[in-house]
Amino acid sequence: MQEENKNREFDVLVIGGGIAGQESSLNLANMGLEVLLVEKDYSIGGKMIHLSKVFPTLDCSACIATPKISETARHPNITIFTYSEVKDIEKSGKKYIARVIKKPRYVKEELCSGCQECEFVCPVYVPDQYQYDLVGRKAVYVPFSLANPRVAAIDIDNCILCGACEKVCPTEAIDFTMEAEEIEIRFKAVIIATGFNLFDAHNKPQYGFGKFKNVVHSMQMERQLVPTRPFNAVLRPSDGKMPDNIAYVLCTGSRDKSVGNPLCSQVCCMYSIKQAQLLMGALPLADVTIYYINIRAFGKGFCEFYQQSKTMGVEFVKGKVAQITETENDNLIVRYEDIFEGKVKEAEHDLVVLAVGALPNPDVPDMFKNEKVELGEFKYVKQVDRFACPARTSMEGVFVSGTAAVPLDIPDSILSAGAASSEVNSYIKKLGI
Amino acid sequence: MGKTIDIIKKTRTVPEEVKEKRKEFVRIKKLIIKSLKEGPKTIPQIAKESSVPAVEITYHLMTLRKYREIITGELDDMDEYFSYELNNTK
Repeated sequence: MQEENKNREFDVLVIGGGIAGQESSLNLANMGLEVLLVEKDYSIGGKMIHLSKVFPTLDCSACIATPKISETARHPNITIFTYSEVKDIEKSGKKYIARVIKKPRYVKEELCSGCQECEFVCPVYVPDQYQYDLVGRKAVYVPFSLANPRVAAIDIDNCILCGACEKVCPTEAIDFTMEAEEIEIRFKAVIIATGFNLFDAHNKPQYGFGKFKNVVHSMQMERQLVPTRPFNAVLRPSDGKMPDNIAYVLCTGSRDKSVGNPLCSQVCCMYSIKQAQLLMGALPLADVTIYYINIRAFGKGFCEFYQQSKTMGVEFVKGKVAQITETENDNLIVRYEDIFEGKVKEAEHDLVVLAVGALPNPDVPDMFKNEKVELGEFKYVKQVDRFACPARTSMEGVFVSGTAAVPLDIPDSILSAGAASSEVNSYIKKLGI
Repeated sequence: MGKTIDIIKKTRTVPEEVKEKRKEFVRIKKLIIKSLKEGPKTIPQIAKESSVPAVEITYHLMTLRKYREIITGELDDMDEYFSYELNNTK
């Protein structure tokens, strides 16, 4: 199978297997084009697969994402390389050549049944990145329950080489001799769908993330609200107590020149309101307060969703949080400027959620050999003709899809992916090869 | 056919830091299990008994719960803390 992949030709290379990359791939594949989808993680699905619900409908995120993931994985015109990275891309005549590195997962994909026998006998525990470090995982593990492919992987840097996994594997899928493989791919067009990075809350030290035990970020809370949650309920990390007074600090790392990101991340207001509503359901007696600069409820049904949260009892305080400190009982004092009253105030909460924003993915420009794809003012991939051809970049045959270009919510990412796939199809037809 | 673990062992060694982290996890795991052998307990109760910070107990206990070594018990009368117990059916 891997031999067959060497020196293959595709019509389109899609970089990134999140919602935009999947949607672009599916559209192109349905048009009859051969697509290679390269995903750096062990599974396709991107960030959406880890969310609880979507706003403003409160539909289950996984219920929307998993059919699309399955369709992408099963489509005959789509080849997927997971745990792979594009090393470089070079123009060659009218086509491009990419070198893709398939990293070793030390588990043969074609043999692994995802039974997790290896995981249960592994004696090593390390923080689980898919649960945002709230719990541990093993050194050999199926990344998460909805992973596609549902295949185990060995975190070789944390493996103690005991061999227990290899002994128990019923299909002899474990293979410690695997090595990275470099594959050369030729293609006509590329779609950059590398998504966004989350703001690292450590970079806002006045909020105490990583220092105060009950300051968490919004993806950690998101995980606490999904059925495959790290804890048995929504709990404080400090002592397992059910919180009853939760604060949200909006614009953590967004609209903030002090951390180098003046852009609005587009989604933080709404996902915080969504989480607040879900918390009211999970913890009916809890108070939820959202500290905001402005509520940007601009999309279809967003304003109604915002109003609904108010009627449910979510408290909104217009005030920029300046500092968070910790009390002896691990509660948190939020110091903020009440903008309506023009006063500096303090409030005590037993859990604080930092609504972290989106940052551009810095890996994009260095992929291209001899040429660089231009970035815009805020370091996202530049859309050279944003209104007429929103997917076009500064390089011919290179297109952008989803949040690699600008922070977007899920519906807008899917729209952007649709635009990218139709532009790519037109480009390939004009190319005539 | 021999096991592939023997091949990688010839070229790779386990970093001391990895060994130390494993030892630390096993140490706290033993303390949690010892505490729960007496019956269901909340995280603060286990932390107090084992002299390990409650935040550490939360992380380790929830990891053990994920791998079904521990199960969730009742919520206390104040609706604040769950108790946890050993999964004796495992």
